[in-house]
Amino acid sequence: MADPAARVKSSTHPKHGTTKETESKSLKGAFIAVMTLGALIVLSWLGVFYLFLSRI
Amino acid sequence: MHIHRYEKIWLMFGGGIIIAFIIALFVNAFAMGMHPPSHMATIDPVKVDQTAPFDKPGLRKIGEKEYEAVMVSFVFGYNPGTLEVPAGSKVTFISTSKDVVHGFQIPETNVNMMVVPGHINKATQTFNKPGEYLILCNEYCGAGHHMMMAKVIVK
Repeated sequence: MADPAARVKSSTHPKHGTTKETESKSLKGAFIAVMTLGALIVLSWLGVFYLFLSRI
Repeated sequence: MHIHRYEKIWLMFGGGIIIAFIIALFVNAFAMGMHPPSHMATIDPVKVDQTAPFDKPGLRKIGEKEYEAVMVSFVFGYNPGTLEVPAGSKVTFISTSKDVVHGFQIPETNVNMMVVPGHINKATQTFNKPGEYLILCNEYCGAGHHMMMAKVIVK
């Protein structure tokens, strides 16, 4: 999953503890995407559920 | 095994959503009594007119503002075609088909049943707002499908 730049960075400084740092940076976009999608699913579920409850 | 902090967060988030949905489903089913309209009750579709309660279709009062509407669905209509209830009434619709698959939907309510010949469907709705509610067929049943309807008049 790591992008090529991150791989280069971690291989150039294998002993400087940069691997963890670059990993967390490279997952930031994925994290935002996952959370956005999750929020969308929760909101649409709540919307449909509210519609159901309001029509009882 | 190393799991990234962000991965842990979204896994917990995803798992939490599934658990929340399942809890909501169980609360709905067991505490609020939400069930599918068909409860596996069956009937001989060729003897609908002779089988109770469909031998006497119509609206019956079963309690204070509580009614039971026995409705036979057929091509292309419902018997009875018009129901009249006071506002705030809780009506349980019981329906079966004499011929083909019909729909039984009351728009803007949760009543939406697939009336399959041989099966008996039930749905309950409380009508709080006065007005005219449409019952319509939403399963294509033949040439007159678009004219298949009934009415609930809430006064």
